[in-house]
Amino acid sequence: MSIRFQLLLVALATLVLPWAGCQYARELETALRVAQENALLASADTIARALSAQPQRVFPKPDDQAFDAAQGDIYVFPLHSEPLLDGYRDDWDVPADLAPMASSDRLAARLQAGMTDRYLFLYLEVDSDHFTPEPSNSHAASGRFDRVDLHLLRPDGTPAAYFFATTAPGLIGAQSVVMGANGVARSLSEPRIQAYWLQNSEGYHLEARLPLSLVGPRLWVQVTDGSSGARAGVVPTDPPQGGRLFLTTPGLGELLGTFIRAGTRATVIDSNSLKLGEAGELHPRDLGEGPGPGQSWYRRFMSVDTSRWPIASSTPGRLQGQSVSAALAGQSHAEWLRTGSQELLLSAAAPIVVDGQARGAVVLEQAGDQLLDLRDRALHRLFDFTLWAIGVVVIFLFGFATWISVRIGRLRSAADSAVGNDGSIRLSMPESASADEIGALARGFERLLARLNEHSQYLRTLGGKLSHELRTPLTIVRSSLDNLESEGLREDQRLYVLRARDGAQRLQSILSALGAAARVEESIKQAERVSFDLRDLLISALGAYRDGFPDARFELDTPPEACFMRGAPDLVIQMLDKLIENAVDFCPKGGLIGVSLSRSSDHYAIAVRNDGAPIPEAMLGRLFESLFEQRQGHDDKPHFGLGLYIVRLVAEFHGGRATAANAPQGGAVFTVMLPLI
Amino acid sequence: MKKLIAVVEDEPALRENYAAALSRQGYQVKTYANRRLAMQAFLTHLPDLAIIDISLEDEAEGGFDLCRELRALSAELPIIFLTARDSELDAVSGLRLGADDFLTKDVSLPHLAARVAALFRRIDALRRPESSAEIVRRGALAIDGEKMQTTWKGAPVTLSLTEFWIVHALARNPGHVKNRQQLMDAANVVLDDNTITSHIKRVRRKFQQIDADFDAIQTVYGMGYRWVE
Repeated sequence: MSIRFQLLLVALATLVLPWAGCQYARELETALRVAQENALLASADTIARALSAQPQRVFPKPDDQAFDAAQGDIYVFPLHSEPLLDGYRDDWDVPADLAPMASSDRLAARLQAGMTDRYLFLYLEVDSDHFTPEPSNSHAASGRFDRVDLHLLRPDGTPAAYFFATTAPGLIGAQSVVMGANGVARSLSEPRIQAYWLQNSEGYHLEARLPLSLVGPRLWVQVTDGSSGARAGVVPTDPPQGGRLFLTTPGLGELLGTFIRAGTRATVIDSNSLKLGEAGELHPRDLGEGPGPGQSWYRRFMSVDTSRWPIASSTPGRLQGQSVSAALAGQSHAEWLRTGSQELLLSAAAPIVVDGQARGAVVLEQAGDQLLDLRDRALHRLFDFTLWAIGVVVIFLFGFATWISVRIGRLRSAADSAVGNDGSIRLSMPESASADEIGALARGFERLLARLNEHSQYLRTLGGKLSHELRTPLTIVRSSLDNLESEGLREDQRLYVLRARDGAQRLQSILSALGAAARVEESIKQAERVSFDLRDLLISALGAYRDGFPDARFELDTPPEACFMRGAPDLVIQMLDKLIENAVDFCPKGGLIGVSLSRSSDHYAIAVRNDGAPIPEAMLGRLFESLFEQRQGHDDKPHFGLGLYIVRLVAEFHGGRATAANAPQGGAVFTVMLPLI
Repeated sequence: MKKLIAVVEDEPALRENYAAALSRQGYQVKTYANRRLAMQAFLTHLPDLAIIDISLEDEAEGGFDLCRELRALSAELPIIFLTARDSELDAVSGLRLGADDFLTKDVSLPHLAARVAALFRRIDALRRPESSAEIVRRGALAIDGEKMQTTWKGAPVTLSLTEFWIVHALARNPGHVKNRQQLMDAANVVLDDNTITSHIKRVRRKFQQIDADFDAIQTVYGMGYRWVE
């Protein structure tokens, strides 16, 4: 993996920052929740204590029996405006459904009660497949027809009974049942009690209105189906049971309203968990400020997991839950509830203690989402900035890694090419001026190359030095042999001297070969350029080679016209000597050596081809290096790998170059390119 | 009287070998290991010929200095440089200092002896007032084989002994190609190809100093050289 991607992976470690941010956000959320719980609980306690001090304003009735719908107890919702008597319930501002009435006869009837300052309203739905009107001549107590009976205690405690029945749907009045003097019940019209009878496909709806002056603490409702005689609801017993009207305490809502702030709903409940009064509203969610897609995305990462929190199970008119139960048991308690998929509700309940007993509780509710919004506003900007910062860091790191890897790449390619094909060594490396580790590496390379260069320089001059240093002792040997010969030797002695002289001669030629390159370098320094005809030179030299190497066949191919160039003909001859010697060495006996001269737009090319074995590809580039020798010599001449090096020296002196290749028709071709000028 | 030859050479074995060979030829030989000893002796008594190595003990160019001092003492004294160094530059500077010949140590003792004899012969010839008849003339070239003197268009060309013998060998048979080996034989010297080439180059230059149009020595590529009239 390249450094660039390694560093990119390392950069991913910065993602720990947003993770840490999320953790922090959760901590913060939890802390805020606890603070909110405590604050709300404190408020609830305060309100509860304040209410405990004036129990008569909270619990005007001492009655504290349990609410029992089966006994006909009725909860009366407070109505803020008087509904129109029209049989429809859509003008009732009560969110709750109707409560089913108890029935042993499978008569489905549902009831809801509401109250304003002046009236008690009743709303009834009765499922009936057949409408049985009241016969026009009926007498109150008798006859089978659809009727709704109301039994109540008046405010003074006296019982009264009324019923609704009609010959035709519409606005009707109640009829009171009066015992006549003859013992027969009669019905009397009671115009103060009005109702609207609405017939529909399922049955009928009855919306009734009773003035509060007629209604006391208890009210029983019974529905009778005319066709089947089935009944629903309850009638009073003696002594009276059930049928109690559970009312909100008048003025309690206003009192509560003085305690609370906006966004909080306060409810006071009695020991039956029924609402005695409430004030305030939870802030309805403003759609414009709802969480955007980005925000909810953050929320997924940042929020405390709320999916296991209990769902709010309160019904209108009645509060439920752990906190409510705890408060009614005498303990203040707060809990978080879910009201929807995302919305949260904080509910704090405190008991209202009267005479050492919890008679009710104050429940304060607040939307938990407010808190989330507050936190989100602070944190999601932080989150944005963090993401930006990470992006910038990653881009910067990627750029940095690219820079580093480009530098290393540059160094590597320089190192690869530091030693050229021709054996030349480039001493300077890129990046060596940098102060960092890469610069140090480059300088290390430079030192290494400098030593390598010294070494190869030494090797290159070694031949010359050796030939020079060995010359004196060799001269001593030879001059001694000269002297020895002059002393007058016997024939057998003369033989040994001859052998010694032969050895010295061979030593001499070895030294001469060793020093050849040094001498060529020397003559290159002294060389003068003259204009000469290369073609003429080749023709003349080939003649000499034919004489010199009788074992080889030579072919010369030149252009018809003279080929003038400027250069040192002596050096060119020496170069040719080496090329021809090389060709002869590799050429089998009697083989063909083809020499050709050709001219292109900017240079002459002298190609010398031999019939020998091809050269291994790997060696081709190195043949012209100094002291490069791979041949299996088949002659007794010393070889030091200097011949082709001399060719290269001469070619380079003329601004040209030498190359070697394997000829397609077999054998090797050595080509020297010399510029025209 | 025996001719006195001074050999200044720091290598004892070589020094003694040269001395032995030259003594055998009938010369009186004195040997010196360094410049100081040699100069001391020369100040009291000049030799008839001096053979000098260039590097002497701790003086890398001691031979050159000695040659300069010796030339100041005597203008005619033949001086031969004999050295292990064969660089072109050394040869040029040696000859410029007034040496009569510049030899590498590859030279064999018989060759050295021939050269010494030739130089003495020249001294003798120069001392004789009238010139012998052995003068080769090739156009503008005149070569006095006895005195080893060369003139081109009447002007003297100062050649070293080796150069003289090369020119002599070429000019004796104009038009004939002399290869390197033949030239070496003529010059009583064993030289490599490069050295022959640089000798020819030097000879040409010397003639060209007199006559810029000189081109009598022609290169036959791959073969050798010839004199053209």
